[in-house]
Amino acid sequence: MSKVVEISPTTRHEGHSKLVLKVNDAGIIETGNWCSITPVRGVEKLAVGKTPEQVPKIASRVCGICPIAHTLAATEAMEASIKCEIPKDAKMLRHILQLANRLHSIALHDILILPDFYLPGTETKINPFTAEEPVRTVAKRIQRLREIGQTIGQIAGGEAVHPSNPRVGGMYRNCSEQAKTKMYDLAKEGVVLAKAQMDLMIDILRNYQAREFVDVGGMKVALPKTLGYHNQGYLATHPFYGCSSLDECPSWSLDRFKEARPWDWYMGEMEVSLEEPKYPVGGTTKIGTKVNPQMEACTGIPMYDGAPVEVGPRARLVTYKNYDEKGTVGQNIAREMEYTDCLYEMIDCIDALNPNGKVVADYIPKGDGSLGWAANEAPRGTDVHLARVKDWKVQYFSMLVPTTWNFATCSAALTGAPWQLAEVIMRGYDPCVSCATHMIVLDEDNKLVAQKLIQ
Amino acid sequence: MLYPEIVIAGCGNPLFADDGFGPAVIEEMQNLSLPDNVAIIDAGLGGPHFIFTLLDPEKTKKLVIVDIADFGAEPGTITKLRVEDLPPGAYRDAHSWDLAEPLQRIKDQIDITVIGCQPAKVTAPEFELGLSEEVQDAIPKVIRVILETIGVDYGTTIKCLQEERQRGTAEGSGSTEIR
Repeated sequence: MSKVVEISPTTRHEGHSKLVLKVNDAGIIETGNWCSITPVRGVEKLAVGKTPEQVPKIASRVCGICPIAHTLAATEAMEASIKCEIPKDAKMLRHILQLANRLHSIALHDILILPDFYLPGTETKINPFTAEEPVRTVAKRIQRLREIGQTIGQIAGGEAVHPSNPRVGGMYRNCSEQAKTKMYDLAKEGVVLAKAQMDLMIDILRNYQAREFVDVGGMKVALPKTLGYHNQGYLATHPFYGCSSLDECPSWSLDRFKEARPWDWYMGEMEVSLEEPKYPVGGTTKIGTKVNPQMEACTGIPMYDGAPVEVGPRARLVTYKNYDEKGTVGQNIAREMEYTDCLYEMIDCIDALNPNGKVVADYIPKGDGSLGWAANEAPRGTDVHLARVKDWKVQYFSMLVPTTWNFATCSAALTGAPWQLAEVIMRGYDPCVSCATHMIVLDEDNKLVAQKLIQ
Repeated sequence: MLYPEIVIAGCGNPLFADDGFGPAVIEEMQNLSLPDNVAIIDAGLGGPHFIFTLLDPEKTKKLVIVDIADFGAEPGTITKLRVEDLPPGAYRDAHSWDLAEPLQRIKDQIDITVIGCQPAKVTAPEFELGLSEEVQDAIPKVIRVILETIGVDYGTTIKCLQEERQRGTAEGSGSTEIR
């Protein structure tokens, strides 16, 4: 008979989420629901009536981890609505900022997933904060990669956390010749470190993959070869940056998108019937607790061509580089492979940047109320913002953030795995849950969003 | 490398009314000309992982955090807190790591001061823009406290602050609360 186990809250990612799992007698997941429990806050409503300059600043505040992706996507959605083409050097600065953000994010993700894995050649799980070698050197390297990402981002974006340089119509400032050299030097230093880090992480992941059993909180758990496999499709709009026009990127079209309501998708009310106090951190939810993912889930279920899709590093590699490894390990390896790609691309962008070039468009239209969208390839996947600007006032604004896409896909990927490894699968998606809770409002008839917008 | 000797971080989210106090203070401080060894950063929600976990104790000696704090006083009242005074989870890394907190990891190597302002309203989870009047009025005062904490004599501000405090003590207010 199936039992119900709940892991709440899930750890080592951003925001608040939980896993409700229906498992069989052997502890294998029959149905898995991964849901956000961070409340919906309604940034879309707040944006209406503001100027296009204010809205990207508001969007950048919805999440502490992704301000860069949201600033860029919101700014470009405004530009798409008012039909403003930005100068090439502004584009290059934005690309550099985007890649710096990605570099920082991959390095951070390494720290978050390392404790799930073993030091190759030993039976020791990795604690990234230990003072012992060789982990200490690795931790220092990760910190240095984060510093490099942050510093380059600060130079290109104007500020360390919330970028102040991007504006509707381009960037406020270009950088100096010295700043360009500094970014270049840092990126060159980063390439060497990132290569070494990527190789090590791939070793660690392959070592994990080859094991028959793994340890979770003292429990010996059989590791399935198909950990994290799913049959959903992939969605990516650009290998590095993103796009805001169908001419540039025919793979993302608003017409092919619709959103299902969580209550059609998640399981209904149940009672927890399996409890494991040994599960890190602090055990699972107590037996007898009522759970109701349908009502508790805070996000809608976005569908592309009628089904949930995966977004993120693997989706980019599958779409643009013929990558084909499935499962959680394949997904983590795809992310590691973006390390060096991201730095080489950054070096190309820095090369192409002319510090004397103009970075603001000559003419910035006021907007005629047409719908604009921008898809930004954030570290975690496609971050789509939609906007309508008329007479320099925002009439409509909406955000469709990466982790929202992945909730349903990851839920499907949980099936067939031992419940103790559900969090390992979830972390493969590098979830950022707090910014994933901004629901796109759809009417009951499930009409296409595009139709609703254009009426 | 990334952060200099003195770091001032304004934490909080401007989308939740008074929670935007920290970033508002930083915005105001950007009008001041400060020594090169001071960085003022609008940390937003990203303080724990973009700043606190990236500080190099060999370089950074002092960290001042500006935020709202509920200590049961009148809205707009300011207090200074040490890391030990903070409730558990106050600056937990958003990644809910191993529940160890970044400030606990660095507090023995870096001198940390938290300057807290009592909010009038925090609207989470609902979004609302703009600070309440009491909290808005506290900004100049808090900047004087920050400048005093980092030992920058910005014209007459510190002197004024000390005079104000002496008056406060004479009236019998005392403690760490600054009125």
